[in-house]
Amino acid sequence: MNNIKLTNICKAYGETVVVNNLNLEVKQGERLILLGPSGCGKTTTLRMIAGLESITSGELEISGKLFNTIPPGERNIAMVFQSYALFPHLTVWENIIFGLKIQKLPSEEIKKRAAKALEILNLTGYESYRPKELSGGQKQRVALCRALVKQSPYFLLDEPLSNLDAQLRQQARTELVKIHEIYKPTMIYVTHDQVEAMTVAHKIAILNKGTLQQIGTPKEIYNNPANTFVAGFIGTPPMNLCKAHLLYDKIFIGNECLVLPEKYREVVKERSTVVVGIRPERCTLEKSPMVEAKTVFVEDLGNQRITRLQLKTGEEIYVSTVDHKYSFALAQGFSFEWENVCFFDVGSGKNLIS
Amino acid sequence: MKISKLKNLWHLPLLLAILVQFWPLVFMISTSFKDMNQIFQASLNPLPLPPTLVNYETVLNNFPFFTFLNNTLFIAIFITVIKLVTSVLAAFAFVYYDFKYKEVIFNSMLLTFFIPFTVLIMPNYLLMSKLGLLNTPWGVILPQLVDGMGIFLMRQTMRGIPKALLEAAVLENASPLQVLYKVILPLIRPSATAISIFFFIDAWNEYFWPLLVLQDKGMYTLPLALQMFISAEGGSEWGIAMAVAMLTCLPPLILYFVSQRFILNTFMQSGVKG
Repeated sequence: MNNIKLTNICKAYGETVVVNNLNLEVKQGERLILLGPSGCGKTTTLRMIAGLESITSGELEISGKLFNTIPPGERNIAMVFQSYALFPHLTVWENIIFGLKIQKLPSEEIKKRAAKALEILNLTGYESYRPKELSGGQKQRVALCRALVKQSPYFLLDEPLSNLDAQLRQQARTELVKIHEIYKPTMIYVTHDQVEAMTVAHKIAILNKGTLQQIGTPKEIYNNPANTFVAGFIGTPPMNLCKAHLLYDKIFIGNECLVLPEKYREVVKERSTVVVGIRPERCTLEKSPMVEAKTVFVEDLGNQRITRLQLKTGEEIYVSTVDHKYSFALAQGFSFEWENVCFFDVGSGKNLIS
Repeated sequence: MKISKLKNLWHLPLLLAILVQFWPLVFMISTSFKDMNQIFQASLNPLPLPPTLVNYETVLNNFPFFTFLNNTLFIAIFITVIKLVTSVLAAFAFVYYDFKYKEVIFNSMLLTFFIPFTVLIMPNYLLMSKLGLLNTPWGVILPQLVDGMGIFLMRQTMRGIPKALLEAAVLENASPLQVLYKVILPLIRPSATAISIFFFIDAWNEYFWPLLVLQDKGMYTLPLALQMFISAEGGSEWGIAMAVAMLTCLPPLILYFVSQRFILNTFMQSGVKG
């Protein structure tokens, strides 16, 4: 079993704690994405797994063996760096076979592997180019190629697409998934781009300030965020979060008194306030809405229209619509289904349903 | 000339300085091609008319010129190679390893820049004498195998290499020496070439230390031999002395012109990043 398991991993530089008590498990052949804002410790975590950074405390197990002190070269891990780290003095071919030559593989085997990888990544014909003669996308593919020929069961990627433009990024994303499907290595992928996370991942782990916020499938994370941080981080525009007051079976959203169905009364218990979360695309604009609100601004993206509404309490709500049942000028507010609502604790921000 | 005259006036002191700098060189070159009669003419004729190669012939036929050349080459090349190796290795350690007292060690190494050569003469001489290396090339070579400036310059260059490149190599299970040999050396080659040339020219031109260590004429280096021509073996043989001088300064000069590009680069780098 080529799994990677992190137990209570901590990383501190002196007093500053960068990664705090991280527990993660990536199963064989799984694509795990470490997602979070910059400075959240995701790259540090990846570098600890690769062995480029020492582990302050906790246990790193790879295939069931303790790997904390094994030198990076002996971990048999393939890694793609954000800057690609291609050797500028070597040609594409030499870059790709660099590691294989150090491993002293037979030259037949080296040739076979490199040629195959070049073919998969559409780089055949570029063997004698030097990195500075390649475009960004090509460099990225060479870096991927170098990781691929190693045929390592573990694949680490540190923001591999962040230096590409939007169009190339989408193409490279698809390519990456395709390649993963061929070899099925255990993959950990660091990114701050949520679209990348949603499209590539089997599982997403969201980090903030060195602490794991939630781990789950993209769908779970999207529909059922563990706390307000995750709810606000995932989705463009993010989940609407507004404070609501509770009184018996009544809930007040934007000064609008609604009846809270029985099922959710058990969830919120005897709280007097709660944070309500609704995805923008789960709201609809209505002539006679559940919650009255004033249209403030409309952004038309062509395939979707984002309407910004202001509640009577001053809070703002985004509503994303695809079919325009009502023009925003006619809309008096928005409605929603209770089953699409998340309830969060006001103090801790924790999701009360999950 | 259409360029403003005032501006050109500023060039005057510069031209003067160049003239002062160049005059001895011009004099050396022209004298080496003159025969005795021309040298002692009353006029300062900078052009030898007709030029003669008689001085060079005398030097090459009557003096062990090639022995001196060999001695100098041996010492200069040996010093250059070892100094380069020690500089690169030390710089590698300073840049890519973390060890206790690293900063202290590095700073104390920088302090060696400020120790004047004259202070080191006595201890070095005594050391060489106790080791029984006086009057051998090894006595000249041994005290010069490590150089703070070399380490400093190599360190500056290596700091410019992105760390990810090294990490990529380390992940491929490259040993430190493989990292140095396969990744770092190819990338610092221009700078390494430049400081090698410096080391070489320094070692080649060195006069005082070899003068103290070497007594046997058969051991002499070219700068020492040059002095021999001027004083002891015929004080008035200016043509011959200048021919030897020409032959002495030719190799470093050629080396410098060939590699000028690298030298400028290295100093620019150390200036920007220092």
